[in-house]
Amino acid sequence: MSRLEIRNLWKEYGQQIVLENISLTIAPRAFVALVGPSGCGKTTFLRLLLGQEVPTRGEILLDGQPLPREPGPDRGVVYQRYSVFPHMTVLGNVMAGPEMKTARFLGRRFGAARRAIAEEARAMLAEVGLAGAEDKYPAQLSGGMQQRLALAQALMMKPRVLLLDEPFGALDPGIRSDIHRLMQRLWNETPMTVVMVTHDLKEAFTLATRIIAFERRRDRPEERDRYGASVGSDIAVWPPRSAGGPTIWTSDYLPDRDDPILWGPTTGTTRPQGA
Amino acid sequence: MRLINLHPDRGTRLVLGLAPFGALMLAYLIGSAVRLAANPADKLLPALTTLAASIERLAFLPDPRTGDILLWADTLASLARLGWGLGLATGGALAIGLAVAVLPLARAALSPLVAFVSMVPPLALLPILFILLGLGEVSKVALIVIGVMPVMTRDLALAAHALPREQIVKAETLSASTWLIAIRVVLPQILPRLIDSLRLQLGPAFLFLIAAEAISADAGLGYRIFLVRRYLAMDVIFPYVAWITLLAVLLDIGLTGLRRRLFPWSELRA
Amino acid sequence: MMTRRTGLLAALAALGALTFSPAMAEEKKDFKIAWSIYAGWMPWGYAADHGIVKKWAEKYGITIEVTQFNDYVESINQYTAGAYDAVTVTNMDALSIPAAGGVDTTAVIVGDFSNGNDAVILKDGATLADIKGRPVNLVEFSVSHYLLARALDSVGMSEQDVQVINTADPDMIGAFQTPEVTAMVTWNPMVSAIVKLPGATKVFDSSQIPGEILDLAVANTETVKDNPDFAKAMAGIWYDTVTLMAADTAEGAAARAAMGAASGTDQAGFEEQLAATKLYAKPSDAVAFVTSAELGAKMDHVRKFLFDKGLLGPSASSPDAVGIALGDGTVLGDGANVKLRFAPDWMQAAADGKL
Repeated sequence: MSRLEIRNLWKEYGQQIVLENISLTIAPRAFVALVGPSGCGKTTFLRLLLGQEVPTRGEILLDGQPLPREPGPDRGVVYQRYSVFPHMTVLGNVMAGPEMKTARFLGRRFGAARRAIAEEARAMLAEVGLAGAEDKYPAQLSGGMQQRLALAQALMMKPRVLLLDEPFGALDPGIRSDIHRLMQRLWNETPMTVVMVTHDLKEAFTLATRIIAFERRRDRPEERDRYGASVGSDIAVWPPRSAGGPTIWTSDYLPDRDDPILWGPTTGTTRPQGA
Repeated sequence: MRLINLHPDRGTRLVLGLAPFGALMLAYLIGSAVRLAANPADKLLPALTTLAASIERLAFLPDPRTGDILLWADTLASLARLGWGLGLATGGALAIGLAVAVLPLARAALSPLVAFVSMVPPLALLPILFILLGLGEVSKVALIVIGVMPVMTRDLALAAHALPREQIVKAETLSASTWLIAIRVVLPQILPRLIDSLRLQLGPAFLFLIAAEAISADAGLGYRIFLVRRYLAMDVIFPYVAWITLLAVLLDIGLTGLRRRLFPWSELRA
Repeated sequence: MMTRRTGLLAALAALGALTFSPAMAEEKKDFKIAWSIYAGWMPWGYAADHGIVKKWAEKYGITIEVTQFNDYVESINQYTAGAYDAVTVTNMDALSIPAAGGVDTTAVIVGDFSNGNDAVILKDGATLADIKGRPVNLVEFSVSHYLLARALDSVGMSEQDVQVINTADPDMIGAFQTPEVTAMVTWNPMVSAIVKLPGATKVFDSSQIPGEILDLAVANTETVKDNPDFAKAMAGIWYDTVTLMAADTAEGAAARAAMGAASGTDQAGFEEQLAATKLYAKPSDAVAFVTSAELGAKMDHVRKFLFDKGLLGPSASSPDAVGIALGDGTVLGDGANVKLRFAPDWMQAAADGKL
């Protein structure tokens, strides 16, 4: 279930090589954080997983099957902005997926079917802490609440892979740690693999089971077009975390960067490898 | 205090807003009095009493020749043409604009045509329309459609194209088909723009309406103005111009209200 | 603050009054004539282009500016508003626009009358009676409308028997070729083009109401009273040019060709239009018509039509509301409100060679 295999993946835009020969296997229910400097191709990589972009060479397999060449309901996404529909209410946003999945002509359900979806949506909203905000429009929500809404909207489709593109990058620190706690819980309770792009190493270490750093091995200006990024570091976070099982988060105590437990010996190194 | 920091209060703002209207009115009254003193039968700047008598005759008394109350008959005829024209233009603009915005294939096929057609000066087409479609209602409605539809189409396509790509991808991850993306994601978000676009096209639409009615008609606001122009009946032309302006202003206010009521979210800014 | 605002208003008002103040009659040296393209008025353009205007203006020590209007109604409106001293106009429009608008107007020259230039044309109809029940395309309130009224009258019908559809004159030829147009009243050069179209039959024309549709050159009464030299110059220009135009000589043919070209046709086309026009080439003929009792009878038809259509103004209670001074000295209608005058004086002077 939801194992991602990336084989010899290249992405080029015309003459420019963005990603160079990337091979990775992501275990089911992993929480992978993609980090790296700006322009290193981590968002491009996420878009390839999403199907929003098509690889130039190589392939991506989800549970052994090649990915469809366009986005679909098996892969959910939350962006930093524009993840929710401004013209739908909070409830409407969360109901949109199930409604469009089952009503292929109007995209709306009526009567009992609608009530069932609404019931499910309300439960999901309660789950992400948005109970009571059902009739508001996204523009009336704070940034943190909008991202909670985006998560709820994506999770309604029960995606096998959830892709997050710097989802919490624009939030205030206090709100961010609340939503981190929510994210951990959702990952833990939902059978899905999560791949998150972030530029915040602390966030990566707080949430992920594995951290993959993209980097350009050759980054002199004259080389930049002809050499793309590849995997620089691949770190498994210690102590190992696994979704669904008992973890340190089952307690109410949230570990943080300064917590000595997390900074014990690791199987990888945070220092970039290679040149 | 600097002039730039001097803000009028509510009362002053009202007075300042009304002052130019008052000044125009006064200029008219003086001009009218001067001309009427020189020639009591002058038609160019009729006195207010003459205007009032004309308004009564046009708006409240049946015309002795036809038995209709002219202002209402003309207004109905014109609004029917305007309604057809704007209705068809809006529907067409919506369909084409949506297709161009959502489907790359439609964009490739249609957007050069739309861009080209929107550059055709509609009034120059009028003689062709009259030959092809006759002098009846069809050619008048067609002129309005041709005049306003390309602009609205381009405006809508631009608005739809400006929607964040993220929303389209997001909808795909929510299992939406192309059709569902069009009707549940793109369409509702461009409808407020459609209404604004329609508001901006009211002026041109009236222009095309009046131009078409001036050439051939037996009723209509533009018809009446160009008919009585023959004998310089400013006592008819002034009230008609004021009435057309008022109609346009009312339509504009109505459309704004409609947008607020139908799309409350369009007023919100994140 | 307050005084400044009042000052501004006063200035605005003064500006308005200045812009709209009517032309005041007084002795002056510079005059303006507006004319528009029509067979009977082409001599004005020819005269302006060929030095005839300049010759007569210099003779009387004045200047005359001759301006061609592409829009006939606009030229009359400009004259009525006071921007021009004289204008070419039909007798009917002279009565309904400047005269009914209180601008005392004198017909300095009666140039011709329409003798077939205006016509009622039917599609798939043999006689005028076939017009019954049809929509009729014409320029409403123009001489075409008058011709229709007179035509219907001649066969015992009235306007109730047809449906009038106002149609702009440049679109007449195209309109006639659309299926829904089956009856039309218009004037030349459109008439000669339309009667050549398949199915078109001319069922009535202005030769059946001779002398009722007159082509005039009119001037502001005050202006010609204070400046008779202007009226004399107009008569001089007119008869010089018309004499040349009517002459069966090479110069005459050249003049007709030039006028034909200026009106968008050629010499033959222009001569065809002239054939449907009864031109008073000799001033004595014009004087004879203007001073005859006939003119009163013709104008009576015209003013009744205008009154019926409400074109003498909303305050007119009878056709008598606007008085018309005829060439024989009698007055038709309200003698206290004479606004249109037929004055044979300058045509007489031309006939007598006293210009």
